[in-house]
Amino acid sequence: MKKSHIIGIIVIAITIGVMVVALMDANTYANFETADKNPGTEYHVAGRLDRDKEMVYDPVKDPNIFTFYMKDTLGVEKRVVLHKAKPQDFDHSEQLVLIGKSNGSDFEANDILMKCPSKYNDGKPVTTENK
Amino acid sequence: MIKYPGEHYWPGYLGNVFVILAFVCALAAALCYFLSTRSRDEAENWRKLGRQFFYVHSLSIAGIICTLFWMIWHHMYEYYYVWEHSSNSMPMKYIFACFWEGQEGSFLLWAFWHVVLGNILIRKSKDWEAPVMTTFALVQTFLASMLLGIYISGYHFGSNPFTVLTREFPQFANMPFVKTVVIENGEKVNHYLEHLDGRGLNPLLQNYWMTIHPPTLFLGFASTLVPFAFAIAGLWTRRYKEWQKPALPWAFFGVMILGTGILMGGAWAYEALSFGGFWAWDPVENSSLVPWLTFVGGAHVMLINRNKGSSLFFTFFLIILTFILVLYSTFLTRSGILGSTSVHSFTDLGLMQPLLIYLLFFIGLALVVFVNEKKWNLIYTGIAATCFLAGTLFGFYKEGLALFLLASVGMGYLGARNFPGEKEETESMWSREFWMFIGALILLLSCFQVTFVTSFPVINKLFGTSFAIGAEGAIKAYNRWQVPFALIIMLLIAVSQYFKYKKTDPKEFYRRMSFTFFVSLALSLTASYLFNWFQFSVKLEYAFLLFACLFAILSNLSYWLDILKGKLDHAGASIAHAGFGLLLLGALLSTSRSQVISQNYKNDVSFLGKDYSNEENILLLRNDTMRMGNYYVTYLGKDKEGIRIRYKVEYMKKDSLTGKFDSLFTLTPFIQLNDRMGNAAEPDTRHFLFKDVYTHITFPGTAPEEMDFSGDYGEPHNSKVKPGDTIFTNNSIMVYEGMQPLTDTSGLRGRKDSVAVGAKLKIFDFYGKIRNVMPVYTLVGNSPKVSETVVDELGLKIAFWNVLPDENRIEISFSEKKMNRNDFIVMKAVVFPFINVLWTGCIIMIIGTVLAIRHRLKRA
Repeated sequence: MKKSHIIGIIVIAITIGVMVVALMDANTYANFETADKNPGTEYHVAGRLDRDKEMVYDPVKDPNIFTFYMKDTLGVEKRVVLHKAKPQDFDHSEQLVLIGKSNGSDFEANDILMKCPSKYNDGKPVTTENK
Repeated sequence: MIKYPGEHYWPGYLGNVFVILAFVCALAAALCYFLSTRSRDEAENWRKLGRQFFYVHSLSIAGIICTLFWMIWHHMYEYYYVWEHSSNSMPMKYIFACFWEGQEGSFLLWAFWHVVLGNILIRKSKDWEAPVMTTFALVQTFLASMLLGIYISGYHFGSNPFTVLTREFPQFANMPFVKTVVIENGEKVNHYLEHLDGRGLNPLLQNYWMTIHPPTLFLGFASTLVPFAFAIAGLWTRRYKEWQKPALPWAFFGVMILGTGILMGGAWAYEALSFGGFWAWDPVENSSLVPWLTFVGGAHVMLINRNKGSSLFFTFFLIILTFILVLYSTFLTRSGILGSTSVHSFTDLGLMQPLLIYLLFFIGLALVVFVNEKKWNLIYTGIAATCFLAGTLFGFYKEGLALFLLASVGMGYLGARNFPGEKEETESMWSREFWMFIGALILLLSCFQVTFVTSFPVINKLFGTSFAIGAEGAIKAYNRWQVPFALIIMLLIAVSQYFKYKKTDPKEFYRRMSFTFFVSLALSLTASYLFNWFQFSVKLEYAFLLFACLFAILSNLSYWLDILKGKLDHAGASIAHAGFGLLLLGALLSTSRSQVISQNYKNDVSFLGKDYSNEENILLLRNDTMRMGNYYVTYLGKDKEGIRIRYKVEYMKKDSLTGKFDSLFTLTPFIQLNDRMGNAAEPDTRHFLFKDVYTHITFPGTAPEEMDFSGDYGEPHNSKVKPGDTIFTNNSIMVYEGMQPLTDTSGLRGRKDSVAVGAKLKIFDFYGKIRNVMPVYTLVGNSPKVSETVVDELGLKIAFWNVLPDENRIEISFSEKKMNRNDFIVMKAVVFPFINVLWTGCIIMIIGTVLAIRHRLKRA
């Protein structure tokens, strides 16, 4: 076997390895139901913040715990325990993506992505008609 | 279209004339240069004509830029771009920042650099001018088309910077907060512009980085076009090798500028954003890194080819891929496809289709010149055109794209088969070119890994999947590949200069390498032992990487000092490589040894599971002193300056003998009030030679909107106390010790029926300082007289207003300044050791590259 062939085989092997490992590392978007069925598996769950339910952040007790309620895309609502400080602009955000796992009763998130309306309507005067 | 008083139309007309002129002239220049390359007899005439068109194009781009600046300078908010990105209150020093804040402006910046580089090439590239400038003019045609902002069969093509606000949003002028009706000659006229202010530059971008980072990065992107255009020209005119000579210095120039631009982005993130580091594997960061990796690979493979004549195919591949990746990055970051996966992706301005077409066009172009056979080119062009029509007119996106990519793979195969034969010569493992080739391969693989993971949103869109990677998962997903890749690259950097081209004597090689090898081995073993890296298998790779970095730095230094005798002429490569080694060493040390010191000692949350113990935040009451790592910190209070709420945090150390606190330094992280992106926390960092202490607010006790800096007092609180009772206020503790009759009623001279008693209060603040105060209760006749006692330092007002003799109690009320309420912060603090090594490495790398380019230009 020529050297160039060996190198070629190694390169192809690494390429395949990169793809397989990346897909294994990735977790998938899911809803609360799926997350509940597989407690302990990490998921991304997208949904909307429920503003009517209480949001609790008591930094004096623990600055690293913030709880609130979120409705996922199918309308299932769950209490979410975020293990972080309450994000700066949480009150203005609507759409949330949680990264975490279910523990059976609550959803334990260790990270959160927020879409603030102001950020995503950027530049469009909201009340005007947008053609 | 309704016209309103006060609107200026001529700048818009002028600007649009320039836009159209820029587009048409770029297209015409491309055509002329194309014909000049193809024609034999008329070549010179076409070339001259093409040049004239490119000049007019250049002037038009300059015209667009000047017009837009003029409009921003004069606050012409009747224009959408001006209204969107600037405001009356914006300091003019940010005019550049607001110029390129939006998509349109940054396209202009990019086009501007292409024009600058294009004009240099017209002067310098001699007989390469026509084919090289064909590509340049084509790229400019596409960029200019992005500014047209026209509708073609229902698609909004590009985004025009001269759009009139009320034309884009017809209702705007009638919205209640801008409508200003004035009766003129009995008619109602809407002077909406009179009180209109722009939305302004996003406060997060109001800093000097926004002035220097984008131009550098875009110059880097623009300079990938030069080698690309030369490579295309080389394939097209079948001069497969000659193109490299003029392209090589440009390639290294681009590597340097693009690298600097990327690092500036990292420095910005570190200095001004609360990322908590200089690199977060954010998709936008990644998409500027990826072309740099292939660019570095391509530039080095060009060196192999220049010196030995092999790896020609690989050279073309990497150089062309670099530019394609720049286009792909542009597509990723500007089409809106990244959506919520990135903190700083642009919003969708309807650029998805044009950007995709732009990307696919240049892939197609590269393949056409690669195959360079009339028959196949016609077939391929036919397929591509069909796919284009199927996609744009009939909505068969995926089918069109799939067919096009399939045809492209076919073309790639054809081209590779017919590629002018390389000498089938196996390279010796004892040659420099072999290891440089391996290095370039590793860079390509590294680039592939980053691209693949960053492209998840694209994969999801194409295949309907739902892959995602979380913020913390991302770092793991990238590092597990990139750390080993970096390790190999570092080892190659260490040894490859000691290999000679073609053939090296192994004995000589070992002799020269052994010293630096053993020195770096000893150093890295010691350091890894001290860092406890051997105890965890995960951290073992740090130990390897540490060795490789040290080995790379030392052997490049010794190559320079020992073999080149410290002369600067040939030293560019060694210095640049040592700089790169330092850079990675700094990254390794600061990241792997960074320490979150703001742990929460008070509350144990570990029962929630170890995966979730995100104990990175500490709560500080005002004037409360807490231990944090090796420091003691006190939150001293906040103030407001413009849109910033600044928090003063004092770092102290405790004198072990006296137990006293000595102030070391004070940091003022702040929260920026930002109505566009939401309030943002910005860090403050104390730089030391060997470490940085980085601090940012993760939660302000009071929401910034509710903060009160007026100094007003809040509602009084009332307590009934007996001697020995304690009253808690927000930042002090009061102990009531008992009553004391006062004989001196001097304030009530002449009244014999007056009685006065004082309440003895001891007030402890969080510094441990004790104050004794005595609010007084007076009875004049039967009417009580209450006076307030004010403790200014604590923002406290106390009144003793009733005695309850039966219960042996008194009633005391206190009120505090409103700004005292909830006056605490939750903050995060990180120590980054040796981060200066990273910045030093960066500067050394730039110096080295400049030396190398200078040397090459001198020789040319």
